[in-house]
Amino acid sequence: TLCFQAFLQMCNLPIRVVCRANAEYMSPSGKLPFIHVGNQVVSELGPIVQFVKAKGHSLSDGLDEVQKAEMKAYMELVNNMLLTAELYLQWCDDVTVEEITHPRYGSPYPWPLNRILSYQKQWEVRRKMKAIGWAGKTLAQVLEDVDQCCQALSQRLGTQPYFFNKQPTELDALVFGHLFTILTTQLTTDELSEKVKNYSNLTAFCRRIEQQYFEGHDKDSSATVTARSAKRSLLR
Amino acid sequence: MAAPMELSCWGGDWGLPSLHPESLTVMAYAKFSGAPLTVNTINNSWRAQKGDVPVLISEDIVISQPAKILNFLRKQKYNADYELSAKQGADTLAYIALLEEKLLPALLHTFWVEAENYCSVTKPWFASRIPFPLSLYLPGKMSREALNRILLTRGGPPLYSFTEVEAQIYRDAKECLNLLSKRLGTSQFFFGDTPTTLDAFVFGFLAPIYKVCFPRVQLQEHLKQLPNLCRFCDDVLTCYFRLTVSGHSPAGQDTADANLQKLTQLVNKESNLIEKMDDNLRKSPQHPPRKLTTLKLAAGGEESSPLNRLSP
Repeated sequence: TLCFQAFLQMCNLPIRVVCRANAEYMSPSGKLPFIHVGNQVVSELGPIVQFVKAKGHSLSDGLDEVQKAEMKAYMELVNNMLLTAELYLQWCDDVTVEEITHPRYGSPYPWPLNRILSYQKQWEVRRKMKAIGWAGKTLAQVLEDVDQCCQALSQRLGTQPYFFNKQPTELDALVFGHLFTILTTQLTTDELSEKVKNYSNLTAFCRRIEQQYFEGHDKDSSATVTARSAKRSLLR
Repeated sequence: MAAPMELSCWGGDWGLPSLHPESLTVMAYAKFSGAPLTVNTINNSWRAQKGDVPVLISEDIVISQPAKILNFLRKQKYNADYELSAKQGADTLAYIALLEEKLLPALLHTFWVEAENYCSVTKPWFASRIPFPLSLYLPGKMSREALNRILLTRGGPPLYSFTEVEAQIYRDAKECLNLLSKRLGTSQFFFGDTPTTLDAFVFGFLAPIYKVCFPRVQLQEHLKQLPNLCRFCDDVLTCYFRLTVSGHSPAGQDTADANLQKLTQLVNKESNLIEKMDDNLRKSPQHPPRKLTTLKLAAGGEESSPLNRLSP
């Protein structure tokens, strides 16, 4: 969710974050988050970026063709590695599943619906992991993959303020969303956030974006409060 | 230097050493890095391994996925990425992720799911290389796995019918090909004059699309409109996979090729360094302040930079 907020704030578009229990059903694609503008509803990062671009705001206009290709490639890397690792950690690591994911996912529903829905989601995620070959991975291997991904991001960022030097782009929003979530969410072990913390330029990057786009507003405290509750809903 | 290594993988046809993208990637990397691999193509014998191909066997170690095999080769000092900077290494990972997410579903679809292609080309070809009665079962299983993978990773809402999913994955694959073409531009390989891991992966994914003759070929037609990618595939085939008419490269020539290649890599490296030094010397009187900042960034971003020695 944070990547969307970050992206929209970077485009200087005012937004209001609302948490609803039936959010997944309101969304046209069944995926969270989605934006509701006038009488249009758009979900998922790709279509939202297109929608915003059609309205005249785009963050990647200043990039040449090769840089745009690179940006798309890095966004796929983040989706491929970080997102899958987050899913794995939430749904395939037994300790985390028992203690955190099941209670959180099933919390709006009464028993036995909460258990049924969370088992169903878990089965779905595990099927997907098996299809892409992640089912055989141990937690240590997943953490190593995350480390490799963070190393790549860290090397690409180098000492620049954003990934494509002076201007933030969709990639910055996406990376910020994922890394901030990893760094600030409470899990049974801190290994995942430790991996990210190893790369000081990545943590500095997150802090910089947080300060620039999330704390310099009138709705200061409400933005961070909704950001924290939005983080919790990310674990659904 | 190292123990003899054997690679077990699917064989080739239509001018390719292998039809299977992952096997092709590993073979290409081995050629680029000069690793001496004995390639065993899977044939009709029961002894050959069939699950999880390609498989590398070295003494007692058995390794199965391309990424792990490449890691193993790198540890044995067969490293094609020796000259890459840290940032280029990061770019490699990103582009490989792009290939797997955007191009692989369409590749799998063309080979295993598209009914005409599967029935007239893929199934007979693979079935002829698997012993009976496994040949009745295994191609079907591979096809089902491919379909499963496509549906699970790309088939969620808002795409509700399979034709929509198909349309989407081909759109993504064409976009991916366009991006690769833009990134390659006019250079011979993705990172200059020597091939690296990324070149191996791109070759492994593109060559089957380029060469195999299918009845339904929308991806191949799109690829043929990108001449630099076609030239890239042809270059790799002619330079590194010098296949004779019978389809097997003579064994003795391999070691000579590997040595020549290592020598060429060293010479290229030296000439790249000399070129860099020349460029710096030429540029430094004109833009002194900018030069300093680029040097500082380079010193921070790259691990082994020859520019350090030249800071004014």
